[in-house]
Amino acid sequence: MAKTSEMKHLPQPSGIRRNKRTGHAGRAFAIGLAAALAAGLLSGTALTARTVSASSVPEVTLRVCNWEEYIDTGDWDEDETIHLPDGDIIGKQSMVKDFEDWYLKTYGVKVNVEYSTFGTNEDLYNMLTLGDVYDVVCPSDYMFMKLMSEDALVPLSDSFFDTSDPNNYYINGVSPYIKNIFDTKSIGGENWSKYAAGYMWGVTGVVYNPKAVTEDEASTWTLFDNPKFKRRITIKDNVRDSYFMAVGALKSKLLTSDSFLNDPDYSQNLENEMNDTSPEMIKKVQNYLQNVQGNVYSFETDSGKADMITGKVLANYQWSGDAVYTMDQADEDNFELDFAVPKESTNIYFDGWVMLKKGINGDSEKQKAAEAFINFLSRPDNAIRNMYYIGYTSVISGGESPLIYEYLEDRYGAKDGDTDTVPYDVNYFFSKDGTGDYVLTVPKEQTKRQLFAQYPDGGTIARSSIMVYFDQAQNKAINQMWVNVRCFNINRTPWWGRILTAAALAGLVYLAIRKVRAGRAEKKHRDAQNLRKAL
Amino acid sequence: MKFSRKSLGIPYLVFLVLFVVLPLIVLFWYAFTDGTGHFTVTNFTGFFTDPNALGTLLYSFAIAAVTTAVCLLLAYPTAYFLATSRLKSKSVIVMIFVMPMWINFSLRITALKEVLTVIEGNLAMHPFLNSVIGMTYDFLPFMILPIYTTISRLDGALTEAAMDLGADPRTTFLTVTLPLSVPGIISGVSMVFLPAMTNYVVLDMLYNSTYIMGSLIGSYFAAYNWNGGSMIALILLAIICLFTLLTGDDGEEDAQRGGALL
Repeated sequence: MAKTSEMKHLPQPSGIRRNKRTGHAGRAFAIGLAAALAAGLLSGTALTARTVSASSVPEVTLRVCNWEEYIDTGDWDEDETIHLPDGDIIGKQSMVKDFEDWYLKTYGVKVNVEYSTFGTNEDLYNMLTLGDVYDVVCPSDYMFMKLMSEDALVPLSDSFFDTSDPNNYYINGVSPYIKNIFDTKSIGGENWSKYAAGYMWGVTGVVYNPKAVTEDEASTWTLFDNPKFKRRITIKDNVRDSYFMAVGALKSKLLTSDSFLNDPDYSQNLENEMNDTSPEMIKKVQNYLQNVQGNVYSFETDSGKADMITGKVLANYQWSGDAVYTMDQADEDNFELDFAVPKESTNIYFDGWVMLKKGINGDSEKQKAAEAFINFLSRPDNAIRNMYYIGYTSVISGGESPLIYEYLEDRYGAKDGDTDTVPYDVNYFFSKDGTGDYVLTVPKEQTKRQLFAQYPDGGTIARSSIMVYFDQAQNKAINQMWVNVRCFNINRTPWWGRILTAAALAGLVYLAIRKVRAGRAEKKHRDAQNLRKAL
Repeated sequence: MKFSRKSLGIPYLVFLVLFVVLPLIVLFWYAFTDGTGHFTVTNFTGFFTDPNALGTLLYSFAIAAVTTAVCLLLAYPTAYFLATSRLKSKSVIVMIFVMPMWINFSLRITALKEVLTVIEGNLAMHPFLNSVIGMTYDFLPFMILPIYTTISRLDGALTEAAMDLGADPRTTFLTVTLPLSVPGIISGVSMVFLPAMTNYVVLDMLYNSTYIMGSLIGSYFAAYNWNGGSMIALILLAIICLFTLLTGDDGEEDAQRGGALL
């Protein structure tokens, strides 16, 4: 791939964000959290007071909460302009400001966007529980399913899905593939698309150093307990990703067997297998992850990408957007890293916009602004700006607009003089019936590099599975499993450890006794003195 | 309104109520209720019957104890020689010890990570050792400073008197200087031991994937179990209080005893 100055905007933000996707919900020390709560209780009433405007233009306030670094903040240099056959794209001012201007121009209403961010899905959920009020938020699939099941969301209005309105960029531009998923995946009998509009999506896989790890070795979840790479590979420090990986590794034989692959219900079977939370499976996963813990370099939240680039580790469990970032960074150091998706299965994930009941609160003007916000982000040129800025893949394929496909050709297409080129089929994403002319001609290396990470091929998509929303009992069991893996179990204390502990405890007891005695002696002494004085 | 000196304390009182008292009340409330707001002690009993929680407590204790011991062994001689030497530029040397504290914590640990990688090759092979090194690096100044201050404030006449009365340097040190510096040691120990029990960031950054108390609490909150998490925080608070009570006044007492020895 030709490196251009365009790339330089991309890496930093995506890197910081996605790695916190499902990590430890801000391990805020309980006291700190409680302090926030207390402060929130006191200031809550003050914050909800609305400002009354004197101007004649109607006003509406829209409270948006999105992932950190997950939207274009503008300020591009002139030379970063993306030149496409159907127009130039440049982010001059922030996407949020652009939306406010566009809304005023299109609907004659002044919208004030109060934009906030969150670090992990769990953080967002805790913020909402603590009483923060937002109108529109962007959690990942399992979290909006949780919110759906808790009846916390406002359904998208019928007019949002009206294809005759040219301002409805979402429904007119969303990829048929993504639309189908949102229309068919459901929870509690309700489809995702009733409440959620997609924003970004991706798959999980492995970034690896091709000099030390072969493509075959990297293309399986069993990589992480492969003793050949003892202490040279990292996995994610979060329970959902680790669980998926372990299930994939444990069921590797089954998932790659012919009879399983050729079953007519393959997709559904795959989803069932990958979301197996039976007690036996959880037990097995625990044992497996305990082995993995002894084999990997670390459970990382932040450090994986940097450690890949500095060569401390040879392979790294990664989300596709971060994988793009890692490879871009390595390219800048003239150091090749590739991306592989395990042959067993990959976790396909989505971040989607949903509107909250507590925020919208029946205000139709607010809901209109919220839906317009989603539509504005879905306008193809804006989708490109966001993709370029954050590195993840937009759910928008453009519909009638050719922009997104042109952007792909611009970034990944073979340049004059490239000799080793191959066709790369992305019809599944762009075409309604999965066939058509959406076939890029790309340098061969791109089939296992950035393009592959950003738009995986059809075969990869076929073996992708969502991770369903686990109910409370399942979550509890899985979280317990995770704690069992991560904690030092007191029953594993060696004999000398037990002796030392006993000695330390005895020391403490001795100190305590001495303390109490000293206190008594002092009291006696004082009493005696008082008595003497009294006499 | 008449201004009195007491009103100077009002800002701090407000701070105290807002950020210490109220959060503590919230903490207690969560720790002793279940998810639905009913009183329960299962969070409390749960902690003491959970081998993972107890194991984590033990592991945190082990890390903290070894860190404290290493810090003490490094800090005491340093502080002693620094305080008793006749160097003119003492304050400069003290500043050198304090200087790392001016640099951002995560930056320091990141640098340490690179240094240790050069020395050890693969960091992941020695998680416990690395954690102790990281903590020691981070907390050493907190041990040196109080000991240095205590020793440099010692009345030189006391050691001279001991020498005059025929004690050799070793006896002088063991029976005069050491007992008199105990208050410094104790304040150093509590400044190192307690944070070392919960500073999981060092472990995270140095690739030790075993939980200590801080990360255990975090994992409870990530799983939306605020009640269990609050209880662990509370238990930790109780342990810290107990620890402070046990060692607290002892310092002065020992100092008096040390003084009384003469």
